[in-house]
Amino acid sequence: MTFRQLAYRNVFRNRRSYAAFFLASVFSVMVFFVYSMFIFHPLFSEDGLQQLAVRGMFIAEVVLYIFTLFFLFYSMSAFLQARSKEFGILMHLGMTKKQLNKLIFFETMILGTVSTVAGIALGFAFSKFFFMIGREIMELEALPLYVSWKPFALTIGAFASLFIIISFVSVAFVRTKGILDLLQGYWKTDDMTQSSKWLSALGFVLLAVAYTLAALVSDSTVYKMALIIPPIATLGTYLFFTHSIHSLLQFYKRSRGVYWHKTRLVAIAEASVKLKDSAQMFFIVTIVSTVAFLTVGTLASFMSYTGDFRESNPLGLIYISFNGNSEEREHVDRLISQLEGKELEYNMVPLIVKRQTSTMSGNDVDIVRTSDFNRLALTLDFEPINPARGEGIFIPYSQESLEELGEVSVDTRLMESDIDLTIDEVYPHVMFPVNTVNFNSIVVNDSDYAAIDEPLAGFGDGESTFTYYAFDIPDWEETVSVGKELTGIMQQAVVREDFRNLNFFFVNPGEDYRLFKSSFAILLFIGVMVAAVFLLAAGSFIYFKLYTGLERDRRQYSLLVRLGMTEKELGKIVNRQLMPQFFLPWAVALLHSTFAFISLQVVWDEFAELSILGEMVFVLSGFTVVQILYFFLIRWRYIEHLRAS
Amino acid sequence: MTKVYEGKVTHRALNQLSFDVEKGEFLAVMGPSGSGKTTLLNLISTIDTLTAGEILIDGVNPHGLDKNELALFRRHKLGFIFQDFNLLQMLTVEENMVLPLTLDYVPTDEMARRVLELARKLGLESILHKRPNEISGGEAQRTAIGRALIHNPSLILADEPTGNLDSKASRDVLELLKSVSEDSGATIVMVTHDPIAASYCDRVLFIKDGEFFNEIYSDERRQTFYQKILNVLSLLGGNVNDLSAARLP
Repeated sequence: MTFRQLAYRNVFRNRRSYAAFFLASVFSVMVFFVYSMFIFHPLFSEDGLQQLAVRGMFIAEVVLYIFTLFFLFYSMSAFLQARSKEFGILMHLGMTKKQLNKLIFFETMILGTVSTVAGIALGFAFSKFFFMIGREIMELEALPLYVSWKPFALTIGAFASLFIIISFVSVAFVRTKGILDLLQGYWKTDDMTQSSKWLSALGFVLLAVAYTLAALVSDSTVYKMALIIPPIATLGTYLFFTHSIHSLLQFYKRSRGVYWHKTRLVAIAEASVKLKDSAQMFFIVTIVSTVAFLTVGTLASFMSYTGDFRESNPLGLIYISFNGNSEEREHVDRLISQLEGKELEYNMVPLIVKRQTSTMSGNDVDIVRTSDFNRLALTLDFEPINPARGEGIFIPYSQESLEELGEVSVDTRLMESDIDLTIDEVYPHVMFPVNTVNFNSIVVNDSDYAAIDEPLAGFGDGESTFTYYAFDIPDWEETVSVGKELTGIMQQAVVREDFRNLNFFFVNPGEDYRLFKSSFAILLFIGVMVAAVFLLAAGSFIYFKLYTGLERDRRQYSLLVRLGMTEKELGKIVNRQLMPQFFLPWAVALLHSTFAFISLQVVWDEFAELSILGEMVFVLSGFTVVQILYFFLIRWRYIEHLRAS
Repeated sequence: MTKVYEGKVTHRALNQLSFDVEKGEFLAVMGPSGSGKTTLLNLISTIDTLTAGEILIDGVNPHGLDKNELALFRRHKLGFIFQDFNLLQMLTVEENMVLPLTLDYVPTDEMARRVLELARKLGLESILHKRPNEISGGEAQRTAIGRALIHNPSLILADEPTGNLDSKASRDVLELLKSVSEDSGATIVMVTHDPIAASYCDRVLFIKDGEFFNEIYSDERRQTFYQKILNVLSLLGGNVNDLSAARLP
């Protein structure tokens, strides 16, 4: 057996304890590789959506890289610590520190090579599948598989560098102070030290503070709180697992009537030892799970935003023509012919809008006449209105403005044309998208409208009116690419930040909607994959902890069985031991996420009146199901292993 | 040799203990619990440091070496046998045996040759490719002996080698050690509780409270040597429960 063979054998014959770690790192490589395949795709253009996908995936790759670094760091340190005794024996036999470093370096590089190769192979095998998903989301005609060295080079480069860094760093994990210490092995530090009363109280207090702050967050404080709450919650979680929970168990133990009851004695004694031993792991698993829950939950909440889109955008297309627009006729005709070319049913209502100054506020007001407005309302199946002379009705520009304007009552005068108006009503539907209407827009009686004969102060006749072409299109989602040239011109103006020569305004809500939906779907797609890596990593921490304890547990169980414990009671004890390992970090993470979502709801309330409750319940229960499946899988393996003795 | 453990309570584990071991001698060290046997072995093993005094092995004082030289010293000059075998679970019997050679980058055909030779002597031929969890305690200890012998060390250190074995396996292991000492002239220092185990040795050194207490040499018959050992042990006093009062079969 050569020195290298020693390293190979250490890794391959230890594969069972590396299994979950290996799964998580292979999956991480795979996701990274699939993103690289997207990023380097030769057919990807500068198009907004594809650019978003590329950027999103690039950021996801950075996140994956950093997370994997941390994951490897933690896993390797745990692995090496668990192997203390083995290293002690080797050094006792005359292995030098240099040789030990070499051994660990070899082993890490073997693990790294195998994970990277397996991850890339899987990623390449499944890239057709992921391209299909990508094609659907981005609505591309085709996203063919391609072969290029770039994604391979990026993935190999990234993970090779990661494993090399870890190889060097992990060498430092092995304390070689004394061979005697190493020979004592991993479980030496099993003594039950008392947990500090103060720190355990502090843990509870910090968590309570974090939750209270999260629950009480308001519009104005939410961004500040987003910086304050996470550190408090993180520290609180740490203290909770390292101190608070032990104080609780101590308290429980003190009441002997409860503690000394049947199998409970063993289960609780065992649980408290394990909790102590796993405190840091619990903390890390909780934080990682929380981040995964929040990532997916937040992205899923975007999806509920698109659900609300139609209510705020009942119109299919909007074209606004301002003074001096020589192409008005041409543009409108082209839109109509494009709609007809797509065989889309439509109804166009032009509104001539007049501008005046309100004496009440000093702002300029956009004024629409009742007959035009009712024509549009009719095609949209909304109720018509009928203001008397001298009355005006507010046009709402968002769901929120609907409520606010309902409480406003104004007596004003249109300054230029000397018309007195009383406005104390709001039209009960949002009809125009928020970016196409003046916040001061009203409908007036046709006669009042006709009486407006003076131009807006400081402007010419032409500049104080404009035409608003509103298209009602029942199949509004199908308008993608209608008015593409107009959208293009608008975008150019936005890029140049020069709107002087732009004397029209065009909005295609259907296209916007598709874009929103696709963008959020892309982000969700990216986020779910990253979250899956996180959760697999968290699972691997739990698995590894169980595995390193298995030998010891086995000895203990065979002793208990010899002392007269039945199989059924044994099953009960195993349950009691595994449950906290699996569900304690998960439950805390769930609680964290719930409070974080309460805060998120506040943010959403500010943008759009919608509830993310449904999405949250869906996401969190989805994770719960996965966790329960994982529990049963591991429990089954664990009991098999125990029975084996 | 003097060894003092500093701590809350300063503890003098070895106090000016001094003795020689002849080349090719099989020496047992006995004494009650806490008498300093294990400390002595750890000091000779070079994994613990002396407070005062010196140890010379083949004329070399290993405690004067740096960490790296010390590892090489252990690798070349010392062989170890432990109570709980300390075999690596990931490696087969054969691989465990060649471990000291692996660390020394010995060519593989040389390793193969030595393993075969030793396996025949130790009766391990049939289990060379088994892993430690698939073999009995006696076989595990013989594997460990193979590992301790494979590089022909100057000194073999055994820490309660029969502590975890039944009487049959213990006898096998002890007879093996004795024949190794007689046939190949290996020097063995064995720490033990067990007067039966000690009776296989050429000489038994008794220590008490870290100091020299007595020493006796073996004569022709093991039975009488065993009696002598028991006599000294009863004089030693200390923890009588440590001692087995059984007669030799």
